[in-house]
Amino acid sequence: MKKLAKSKLFEVWSIIAKEHELFVPVEQEGESVNFSLWQEGEHVNLDHLKTNVSPKQIVFPQTETYLKFKTTGKKLSLENVGGKQAPYVLFGVRPCDAQSFALIDNVFLTEPVDRFYEERRNKGILVSLACSNPEETCFCQAFGITPGEAPQGVDVATWDMGTFLLWKPQTAKGESLTNQLNGVLEEALAQDEQDCQELQQDIQQKLKDLPLAKIDPKQITGDLKEIFDAKIWDEYSSRCLGCGSCTYVCPTCHCYDIRDFDGGKAGERFRCWDSCMFSEFTLMAHGNPRKTQKEKFRQRFMHKLVYYPNNNEGVYACVGCGRCMDKCPVNMNIVKVIKKLGGEKA
Amino acid sequence: MEKIAAKVREVAKQALASGAVTKILGWETGEFWYDASPVFITDEKAADSLIWDAFCVTNLSKYLIKELKTTQKIGVFLKGCDSLAFNQLLKDHRIDQEQVVIYGLPCPGMIDPEKVKKAGLHQGLLKVKRSGDELTFVTANGEKKVSSRSFDYDKCLRCRYPNPVVYQELIGEEIVRETSNEDRFADVSALENLSPEERYDYWTKQFSKCLRCNACRNVCPACSCEKCVFDNVAAGISGKATVDSEEQFFHIIRAYHVAGRCVDCGECSRVCPVGIPLHKLNHKIMKDMNELYGTYEAGVDGADKSPLVTYTLDDTDPFDGHRQGEK
Repeated sequence: MKKLAKSKLFEVWSIIAKEHELFVPVEQEGESVNFSLWQEGEHVNLDHLKTNVSPKQIVFPQTETYLKFKTTGKKLSLENVGGKQAPYVLFGVRPCDAQSFALIDNVFLTEPVDRFYEERRNKGILVSLACSNPEETCFCQAFGITPGEAPQGVDVATWDMGTFLLWKPQTAKGESLTNQLNGVLEEALAQDEQDCQELQQDIQQKLKDLPLAKIDPKQITGDLKEIFDAKIWDEYSSRCLGCGSCTYVCPTCHCYDIRDFDGGKAGERFRCWDSCMFSEFTLMAHGNPRKTQKEKFRQRFMHKLVYYPNNNEGVYACVGCGRCMDKCPVNMNIVKVIKKLGGEKA
Repeated sequence: MEKIAAKVREVAKQALASGAVTKILGWETGEFWYDASPVFITDEKAADSLIWDAFCVTNLSKYLIKELKTTQKIGVFLKGCDSLAFNQLLKDHRIDQEQVVIYGLPCPGMIDPEKVKKAGLHQGLLKVKRSGDELTFVTANGEKKVSSRSFDYDKCLRCRYPNPVVYQELIGEEIVRETSNEDRFADVSALENLSPEERYDYWTKQFSKCLRCNACRNVCPACSCEKCVFDNVAAGISGKATVDSEEQFFHIIRAYHVAGRCVDCGECSRVCPVGIPLHKLNHKIMKDMNELYGTYEAGVDGADKSPLVTYTLDDTDPFDGHRQGEK
């Protein structure tokens, strides 16, 4: 294990940014914090727990052009423009968000593999940051995430130890990044590692005291048909405004649409995020199988709590980050749904 | 507000028991100290779950469009701003007044949870009680009283109608508040003082944050089309791309579409997940309309006509009489 003095963060970022695009949590206009490209002078905020929008946009951009097309006379020319070119480092990603990448991987990296997504994942180095102070809307533990531990799959795991970050490379990519920073990183002492253990215990204790500590989707019993026909969908969907806030701030939602900018003789084909809340979602030539907000609302939660786990060895498609709770204009959210379906420990 | 909350439950129970209405639209509490969500009740026993506190910010009037299609008579709790929205929905022929019983709630202002969090008062917070401008922050370790409006939503600080403008029954007493017309469009004046280039940059930056989630549209009481043009695939403009041109197009079209019908409830800005100050667009249009055609406030009256749907020969020509059509 290594350690990175906070006073040397700027130096580290400068080194990383020489050969990579570096994404860090940046405070914008003194208001929200979001992952964006690091530049000298940006106000990086590593204390802020949840970025306003999830870092999903780095691996799965909201809008991504696939190809450009042009006709000259009778000749049609196509130009492939998709894919990520530059290697990048995502610095300070929280364990819930890191887990969300693994969930999206299950969708995009199984056959047929989504090449553009794969390229973005391969070009990225993830540096996670443990959550020293989980918030009241956090319920990642309901999905087996331990925000104090090093998340699986991240290249470097870090912990905020006050004056320094404890730095633990976990993969070959992580080792390689660590080597590049050799001049700045220091060796961690046995005491540091012991302090980290204490921090982890402290985090575990904090988790137990959170208001949503008892949320447990595994307590949801009943077969698919029973849940599908539950009364809750009528009751809760009637309050839903049908906007896409929850889906667009969600780190695990991954539905998309493919559209064209059609300029007549030239245009672009692009992929963009879609939302199951929208009226034209699943619209087909014959009409829409999900006619009302009830069906759309049900789909969102069935997907996360039933369909996805059925297809992925029981893993839920939610990481408990709580962003949807923060953002819903009418305070409807997945926790209310889980509770109503019986997903709570006694 | 707790005494009023008890009355809210009582009124709802009686209305359902007597058969005066068959459904009540109100609010219920949820997981957190700031959690209030709409609830629709048909059983009088369920009326016990109704609340009225400083977090009942959601406007229930727009739900009437959908609910009245299946329910003959509905009772609804409306604050001042919500009642403006109600009037506008009436005027837009989206709801039928005969089917609705309005229980008006004078509103002291709603609390913005973000402001409480920023002040660090949210740690261990269990409940926030409000009585006029006196707030009581209740934690497991005791209570802290603060007398201040500094936690109110910005939109509530600008509020000009704390009391409902239309109701069948007023619950509680009217709130007396000084409301100032002077600063109402200060946000617009600040933007107008910028150069066109600066202004363009300002809005481009704001719109570039847009996620195209449609929360602003869906919460808006003036956005009540059965099918929005942006949901109409056949129209060819339902672009979901987050590129400047699409974002600007969406917001400018929306602002113009609600021109003369926006009741200035500020919900668009409140619900925006990325914090775009959308109300400023509406304010700009209102300010211009007021300057051109005289003061008009949508929603205050349920029957008068907006200057944009009336025409008189001596109407000011915006390209002639009003700043000569300058940018």
